[in-house]
Amino acid sequence: MNETKLLAEIFDGEWKKVEVLINGKGITIGRDRIDFKAIMDVEITQNEGKETIKIRSGKDYLLNFGERQGQVYRFLAFNIKSDKFAVYFLSPALRGGVLVANSKWEKGYFSITESAAWFLSPEKIIRVPLSALGSAKKDKRTVGDKQRVVLAVTHLEGKEVITSFILCPETTLELLLDYLHRILEQQKPREKLSELEEQILTMVYTGLDSSNIESILGINTEKLNEIYDKFVNLGIARVVKVRKEIELTPKGIVLVSETAKKLGGGKSG
Amino acid sequence: MVKVLIVDDTAFMRKLLKNILFSAGFDIVGEAENGKQAVEFYKQLKPDIVTMDIVMPEMNGIDALKEIRRLDPNAKIVMCTAVGQEQMVKMAIKLGAKGYIVKPFQAPKVIEELKKVAKV
Repeated sequence: MNETKLLAEIFDGEWKKVEVLINGKGITIGRDRIDFKAIMDVEITQNEGKETIKIRSGKDYLLNFGERQGQVYRFLAFNIKSDKFAVYFLSPALRGGVLVANSKWEKGYFSITESAAWFLSPEKIIRVPLSALGSAKKDKRTVGDKQRVVLAVTHLEGKEVITSFILCPETTLELLLDYLHRILEQQKPREKLSELEEQILTMVYTGLDSSNIESILGINTEKLNEIYDKFVNLGIARVVKVRKEIELTPKGIVLVSETAKKLGGGKSG
Repeated sequence: MVKVLIVDDTAFMRKLLKNILFSAGFDIVGEAENGKQAVEFYKQLKPDIVTMDIVMPEMNGIDALKEIRRLDPNAKIVMCTAVGQEQMVKMAIKLGAKGYIVKPFQAPKVIEELKKVAKV
């Protein structure tokens, strides 16, 4: 590949112009020359209101390539240090448990970098942080006219759970399954959950709030809070909101009496 | 208001679906815990949509789907399955199921799918 010269912006306390050279072996950012083999990961982030490509290679480089951003990100995703497997993939196949109608099988790669798994094809670049992986298991799908064993991988995208399928030779599938299981095993809590705890976890996943969970399961707030605390301590949930319960002071009660009169049109009874 | 019949052999799943759908403005007209009950309730309650689990005792979801579609060829039935039941789902779609959701599911997507099927 010929060397391509690009004018980009780099964030280093503030945004500055920088010259970037890219060739088949690496990228030169200003005076820093980085081999692709030395880049451990890239990702799109937001920085000071700008979409930024973050390149991790010993130190982090935060770059914006303007209208060439997508092109550079794609090039880096395909070329940085990774374990890359030629596969067919369908992603997203399911979103929140519901079929994604316009999704189709694509020929490309399933790639694993230090902190992410990637679905790469000429059409798509999907980066899944390893911490966003949910599960990996074999499944049978009809691909073309044939029944094939595929790898079903669930992962988070924002707050939505996505299921993607990977089709590849059996030996590769076993390898990927083993690799993903090892990652998931590291993320799994050591302690086994009770049936009630599993039900609550499912309900939170489904999107129910505390009051709904309490009423469905017939448990009180203290019990639910205790289980929530356990989830948080196990690292499988985080607190997003603390709900307050209050009771009225005499001053508040008087105010309610006044309000009731107003609501009743000022008439008694 | 769209009338829904929920069919699942697990009380927990029925409660979960009931809660999600009720909050989204669906009218839950009944719950059945197997296919046989589902067919009976369908005749009595005439729901607009049925959410149908597949693996159930007495009569499974596929047989219940066939029976309900025999009684009412316009019945709108959404299958509710676990991952790994693709063959069952394909059979259900061939037999006239209007959609499917995979457990575990997320509320907004389930609501979206049911609204789509109900054409709300």
